[in-house]
Amino acid sequence: MLPAVVGAQTPAPVIEPEIDRREIIVPRIDATDLEIGVFAGILSIEDFGAEASYGARIGYHVTEDFFVEATYGTSTISDQSFFDRGIPIFTQRELDLTYYHAAVGYNLFPGEVFIGKNRALTSAVYVIAGLGNVSFADVDHTAYNFGFGIRVLPFDWLSLRLEARDHIFESDLLGKQEFKHNFEMTFGLGAYF
Amino acid sequence: MSGHAASGGSRNNNNPIRRWAVACWLLACAWPALPALADEAERVAVADPYLELHTGPGRGYPIFYIAERGESVEILERRTDWFKVRTAHGKEGWAPRLQMEKTLTEVGARKTFRDVLFDDYLRRRLEFGFSVGQFERDPILTTYVGYRLHDHFLVELAVAESTGDFSSTSLIYAALVSQPFPDWRWSPFLALGAGRFENRPKSTLVNANEVEADMGNMAIGVRYYITRQFFVRADFKDHVALIDHDRTNAFQEWSLGIAFFF
Repeated sequence: MLPAVVGAQTPAPVIEPEIDRREIIVPRIDATDLEIGVFAGILSIEDFGAEASYGARIGYHVTEDFFVEATYGTSTISDQSFFDRGIPIFTQRELDLTYYHAAVGYNLFPGEVFIGKNRALTSAVYVIAGLGNVSFADVDHTAYNFGFGIRVLPFDWLSLRLEARDHIFESDLLGKQEFKHNFEMTFGLGAYF
Repeated sequence: MSGHAASGGSRNNNNPIRRWAVACWLLACAWPALPALADEAERVAVADPYLELHTGPGRGYPIFYIAERGESVEILERRTDWFKVRTAHGKEGWAPRLQMEKTLTEVGARKTFRDVLFDDYLRRRLEFGFSVGQFERDPILTTYVGYRLHDHFLVELAVAESTGDFSSTSLIYAALVSQPFPDWRWSPFLALGAGRFENRPKSTLVNANEVEADMGNMAIGVRYYITRQFFVRADFKDHVALIDHDRTNAFQEWSLGIAFFF
């Protein structure tokens, strides 16, 4: 027989924990992967001449090694040397030339550059290749380009770039359809956002 | 340390001058509280024996300082997979994400930094990318921006340019993309789009007309996720240009591209 439970003790009160829901605030960390820059330099068009070029670019750093970039540049092309020999190619001596391309770059040698005895700036030697368009004299040409450069960051948000590039497009301006190599050297300034 | 001004002005106030005055007054009152507001940067505590700080955001940059376990660091910004942090002593340097993941948010918190960072990745709905390919016999370059509406659907806006020996073609179109298995690493997709087609023959050709027409396209492709941040894609597109009411031209395009989330 079960003993009568007299004066049964109520079980010890279970502690009801009151859990306050803590507000988890997801941190808003600024990402500065976007680089917006301007550049100026010299573009040399095969068979014609070398003229000043300048433009703007917007880049996105995907990883520490890879980045992509869209560039728009403008320059001029002149057939002065042909005109001087009595065989003008264009209707005007100087024509506007514009180019744009999308490129992928790879930071090959990250490191530091040392200026004097006391300053070290982070830097990277990179290679870059792209595809785009070169347009002048109302004609568009698909252009490929590849090159290399060095990027130095005097501050974390500022980049200085010295770059050399070969723009390749097919042209039949001088009669024969062939690939033309056009070298460009530019110096650029960029800011990270 | 950068501070954020307390926002002032009531929404019901239409007078801009009055709004500015109220803002300035509120700012003056809030001034003593600003140091607290300024400290908006996330603080984490180092849980590993040490946290290495590099001079720049990359493994190629040297380590110049080591933060010890228990030390609390402030996170200032992120670039790619690196975080710029500042220690309590004022040293600023870059630490890689893998090392940051082991830190703890707030002293004593059980949630690690890794968890909040993962949430950030999941939120990314905007993507953009470039593709290069073959449009009929000519090279084509496409740039696009995409927005994820839903787990299985995206909308894309694309601009493409193709220049060949005889003409240049420009395309601009919007497309609805269906991604039936977004979780797969190799994720196929199907897209239907519409837009404008423009063809400009080279000026050296005779009897050549510029063509501008409405265009529809259908695409089938696959995305391969390289990391949570970017992927490569390959697709085949069939563009149909509606030249006039009884004539259409079809063009095929094969493209390979790279795209990123941000």
